[in-house]
Amino acid sequence: MENLNWLFYAFGLGWLVIFGYLFQISQKERKLRHRVAELQEMIEERWKKKA
Amino acid sequence: MGNETADSTLLDNRPAVPPWMVGLTAAMMLVQLYLIFMWVSTEATMGIIQRIFYFHVPAAVASFVATFVGGIAAILYLVKRDSKWDDLSLAANETVVVFEIVNICMGSIWAKRVWGIWWTWDAKLTSAFLLLFIYAAYLVIRRAAPVEARATVCAVICILGMADVPLIYMSNRIFRTQHPSPVIGGGEGSGLAGDMATTLFFGMATMVMVWWCMVLVRRRVARLERAAEDLTRRAHELDDLRRD
Repeated sequence: MENLNWLFYAFGLGWLVIFGYLFQISQKERKLRHRVAELQEMIEERWKKKA
Repeated sequence: MGNETADSTLLDNRPAVPPWMVGLTAAMMLVQLYLIFMWVSTEATMGIIQRIFYFHVPAAVASFVATFVGGIAAILYLVKRDSKWDDLSLAANETVVVFEIVNICMGSIWAKRVWGIWWTWDAKLTSAFLLLFIYAAYLVIRRAAPVEARATVCAVICILGMADVPLIYMSNRIFRTQHPSPVIGGGEGSGLAGDMATTLFFGMATMVMVWWCMVLVRRRVARLERAAEDLTRRAHELDDLRRD
């Protein structure tokens, strides 16, 4: 029974690291997409003003 | 550093990982769990704690694949200076750290139950720890290195990382180690029962699929980071022009 607990901790930790990393990079992608869209919009506006 | 500028395809709604690949990987993960917990027979000496092996070894295999993909991509970037290789190299190398952490932590939990200790500095464990250390250093140095030297420095670190993989593989074949002897390709007396081998090889295929999904997402993030840097620079240039 005790070994079953350890098995649970080991697999739990393994999946936590993998899904934690996947979650972290997905969040980063979402933020960067937003930032790139903002920057593109800002540059377009500045070009219009300059023209 | 890169020759790629921000383009409209970066913001399209196509996911970094194709849905069919996400579905296939998720299905493989479920089958893997079924094989490990319901199907494969229990090892006679160690009992159920041995099932860690079906996750610990595939994590190591995924980190080895990542090491070679990242290393070859780093060398290609050094030769061709095409930023797509740099993005792939960064994505693959970062996942080496992830899978080595999984590999070492799970091995450590197994060791605590079977050996009674969390860790020992034998050849196998030390060389695996060295791989984690090399790629953790890669991530720090990549940020700190001057832009013009970054590609060369990163390629050198990747070559060191790739050289460590055969050392890890051979360490318990060459040296006497606390780590168990190899069960595959370990000479006379080694080998796995049919159901155990099936579970192990299916686990390896699943982990490599999970790894590739990770790399695709991380590669997209790397492209977006490059685009954000490029656009920020352009915005500053426009500001300067307006002031002039």
